[in-house]
Amino acid sequence: MMEKLLNTLKIDALVVGGGIAGMQSALDLADQGYQVAMVEKEASIGGKMIALSKVFPTLDCCSCITTPKMSAVAHHENIHLFTYCEVQSVEENTNGFKTTVLQKPRYLDADACTGCRMCEYVCPIDLRNPFDLNMGATRAVRVPFSTAVPQIAVLDMENCILCGKCEKACPVGCIDFSQQPKLFTLQTDTIILATGFETTKRDAKKEYGAGELHNVIDGLMMERLLAPTGPYGRIIRPGDGKEPDSIAYVQCAGSRDKTLGVEYCSRVCCMYAIKQAMLISGSLPLADITIYYMDIRAFGKGYEQFFQNARAMGVEFVRGKVAKITQDDHQNPVVRFESTDNGSKVSERTHDLVVLSTGMLPSYDTKPVYRIPAGDDGFVYVPEPNSAPCVTDREGIFVTGAAAGPMDIVDSIVMAGAAAMESAAYMSEKQDQAEIHEQAEESEMEVAHV
Amino acid sequence: MATRVDPTLLKEMKKYGAVGVEKCFNCGNCTAICPLTSDEYAFPRNMIRMVQIGNTEKLTQSLDPWLCYYCGDCSATCPKGAEPGETMMAARRWLTAKYDISGHGARLYTSSKATWKAIVGYALIPLILLVIFHVSRTLGLHNYGDIVTDRVDINAFAPTMWVWAIVLIDFTLLGGRLLRNVINMFQLTMGTKSGKETIPLSVYIAELKTLLTHAFTQKRWLDCGEDRSRWIKHLFLVTGYGTMLVLIVGLLWWFQTDEIYPIYHPQRWLGYYAAIVLLYTSGEALIGRIQKKGEALKFSHHSDWLFPAFLFVGTLTGILLHAFRYAGWAWPTYIIYTIHAMILIAMLDTEVGIGKWTHMLYRPLAVYFQAVKVRAEEYNKKTAAALAAAN
Ligand SMILES: Cc1cc2nc3c(=O)[nH]c(=O)nc-3n(C[C@H](O)[C@H](O)[C@H](O)COP(=O)(O)OP(=O)(O)OC[C@H]3O[C@@H](n4cnc5c(N)ncnc54)[C@H](O)[C@@H]3O)c2cc1C
Ligand code: SF4
Ligand code: SF4
Ligand code: SF4
Ligand code: SF4
Repeated sequence: MMEKLLNTLKIDALVVGGGIAGMQSALDLADQGYQVAMVEKEASIGGKMIALSKVFPTLDCCSCITTPKMSAVAHHENIHLFTYCEVQSVEENTNGFKTTVLQKPRYLDADACTGCRMCEYVCPIDLRNPFDLNMGATRAVRVPFSTAVPQIAVLDMENCILCGKCEKACPVGCIDFSQQPKLFTLQTDTIILATGFETTKRDAKKEYGAGELHNVIDGLMMERLLAPTGPYGRIIRPGDGKEPDSIAYVQCAGSRDKTLGVEYCSRVCCMYAIKQAMLISGSLPLADITIYYMDIRAFGKGYEQFFQNARAMGVEFVRGKVAKITQDDHQNPVVRFESTDNGSKVSERTHDLVVLSTGMLPSYDTKPVYRIPAGDDGFVYVPEPNSAPCVTDREGIFVTGAAAGPMDIVDSIVMAGAAAMESAAYMSEKQDQAEIHEQAEESEMEVAHV
Repeated sequence: MATRVDPTLLKEMKKYGAVGVEKCFNCGNCTAICPLTSDEYAFPRNMIRMVQIGNTEKLTQSLDPWLCYYCGDCSATCPKGAEPGETMMAARRWLTAKYDISGHGARLYTSSKATWKAIVGYALIPLILLVIFHVSRTLGLHNYGDIVTDRVDINAFAPTMWVWAIVLIDFTLLGGRLLRNVINMFQLTMGTKSGKETIPLSVYIAELKTLLTHAFTQKRWLDCGEDRSRWIKHLFLVTGYGTMLVLIVGLLWWFQTDEIYPIYHPQRWLGYYAAIVLLYTSGEALIGRIQKKGEALKFSHHSDWLFPAFLFVGTLTGILLHAFRYAGWAWPTYIIYTIHAMILIAMLDTEVGIGKWTHMLYRPLAVYFQAVKVRAEEYNKKTAAALAAAN
């Protein structure tokens, strides 16, 4: 099917990355009639957003917003989705960009797989579930998560013991242990980079236990604990399964910290901490929640009010950077900080669970493949961030979403629309020039005839 | 009481070696990480804050800088790279200058040119004295100090008792200056000049023990950071330095002899011990500073070089002196003797103003004053409670 498509169809734009930003750009272009290819490295699109619980400041359900977008992308007649693929190289030619893409093997026939999960049910290998940040369990062959798009299984060869059970169980017989990676090419006029972000690793900071403390988790893990589809279906500490009575947030646990080499503010962690605090108060009404912060950055529409509401709900805000986290004999994390808003007092407080408000880091270096350098912060370099925030220094290639720098969903969506506009404008200008060129050639020919 | 804001304080502090103060956003990480901070004395953020807002008055009264032993944990973990540890160090230099009424300390700390001038000036004292001594001999004013050239006779070139007398005079003058500085420190930090109520003498007496232990052990240092070797090395240095001091200041008549004693004689092995210790510790300190090894040696104010550099060349010339004397080279011995004396006098005189000598005194005193303050507070609380109960 793929070969047929690639041979017959002219594609206008390539969108790299299927998070909320990439999906929005793709939809905006496709709705205008452009043919769009989307290349996503994971087995499902959705990006970070599909893993979140609810969104600030409206507390709308995240799945309820993301899943329809994901299906819209998958079902749009002008969007051609390539998941589990990575761009290998990009060449510029007279027609635009010729991109070579690697299709990683799923070890099954993706066109035949119906997503029935029979393979997953019989697989004897239990693994930590990467989608739940290693908290729940999954199998060596699986549909990545319940709302994954496309609903196609993927076999994890690194952990598979080749027992053959899945092969027997699959009703359409699509398992193929000998599948090889495949290369294909795409010819497009423009490229939109929407490769998103990573979060600070939990072991990045020695003072915060270097990832060794059992009941210190990060923001994304808490999102999974809060999500209705989460690993445990409720909030318990991953260390021992205890329901926490006292939960603390450590702000700027990955940003605004020179010792980690990240001096910028990640912009979303104050807000997601407040959001999570509110959600926790809903599910554990008796729990004490404390947020240790340096300043609260609540800059968007309705954000300040959201912060004030959290305060009014009884979430405790303590101004002071947590300097150190250790744990007591019962694996309860102990935070040490100087409370700086009234005088100066160093205290140690024990909580049941500590959440690190880890920051946003660049996830993908565009230099080797796209020859687009990174800015000082490591995100994709944009020469004119104020007047042309989506325009990279390579003509015809645009950037959107968190690939360009830390931003929340609202900003990602706005920027995705802008990137779609920029690339549409670029394509139509190119088209006009080609027409002028053609006309000029025709009139030249006419002159020659005369 | 109203607070006066001194907008020049930050600029002034920079001359004393503060860096990065403006970067601090007062997050408190440094105070919470500091192994020596306490409920009553929570630093270093408060010190940086005082510098930022120009609270000269409070900074002058503060004991906190002396309670820090510069492990550098605060600087290593500061999220802004505001170098709080170096601000504490700068505050110690600044306070040293503040305690020194003569203004001499302030001049030397704030200008390396002035420091060089002072060093040369001090170094010239022994040279000039020797010249006067020998010129007056040739003029027949006295008959000491023949220069013997067929063998080494230091005591003829520079008679021990005369040298000793001069060392003692210098020492007494320096001691007087130090005492004046200590009194000033007391007045500034313990209320007599800061306008707070005075603390009863009994409290001072009760805490004397603290003063003595800290003066001799500097044991607070042991809690500062993970690297205990700094404290051990320092203790080692103190024994070497102390030995040399006793030999030169207390026992010069016994130490500067022309008779060569056998190797097991204490005059020899005590000297050797001190020489090895001083050469090693000062050499290591110099190399550490050159290589900017670790947080505490990352920045070097010009005053930081003085002590290790003086110690190093002082010890080196001492060793040469000893060697030349053994070799029986008369003139080289006398020349190196003169240089050695010049270096030692320059070291003593500058160090008393702006160097380690002051630290040696101010640190234990600050710990002592702090303990006194804490005890006085408790005492006041108790009496207030008793009064309330009686009423
Ligand atoms: C814990 C947490 C909670 C949050 N809560 C909220 C909230 O409540 N409200 C809100 O507005 N924002 C929130 N955010 C921020 C939000 O997650 C981001 O704004 C949003 O996900 C950015 O979308 P994106 O598409 O730019 O990036 P991503 O979501 O990271 O998507 C990037 C996509 O690109 C793919 N990709 C990466 N590299 C390549 C490559 N080389 N080739 C192909 N594909 C690639 C990735 O697999 C991914 O699918 C939260 C963030 C965190 C960490
Ligand atoms: S062959 Fe591999 S993936 Fe299939 S069931 Fe066995 S272990 Fe699981
Ligand atoms: S958003 Fe808040 S927690 Fe995140 S880096 Fe900025 S200030 Fe720190
Ligand atoms: S010096 Fe650094 S650690 Fe200390 S309060 Fe300032 S910014 Fe925070
Ligand atoms: S250098 Fe060490 S002792 Fe001094 S303030 Fe910093 S952390 Fe405390």
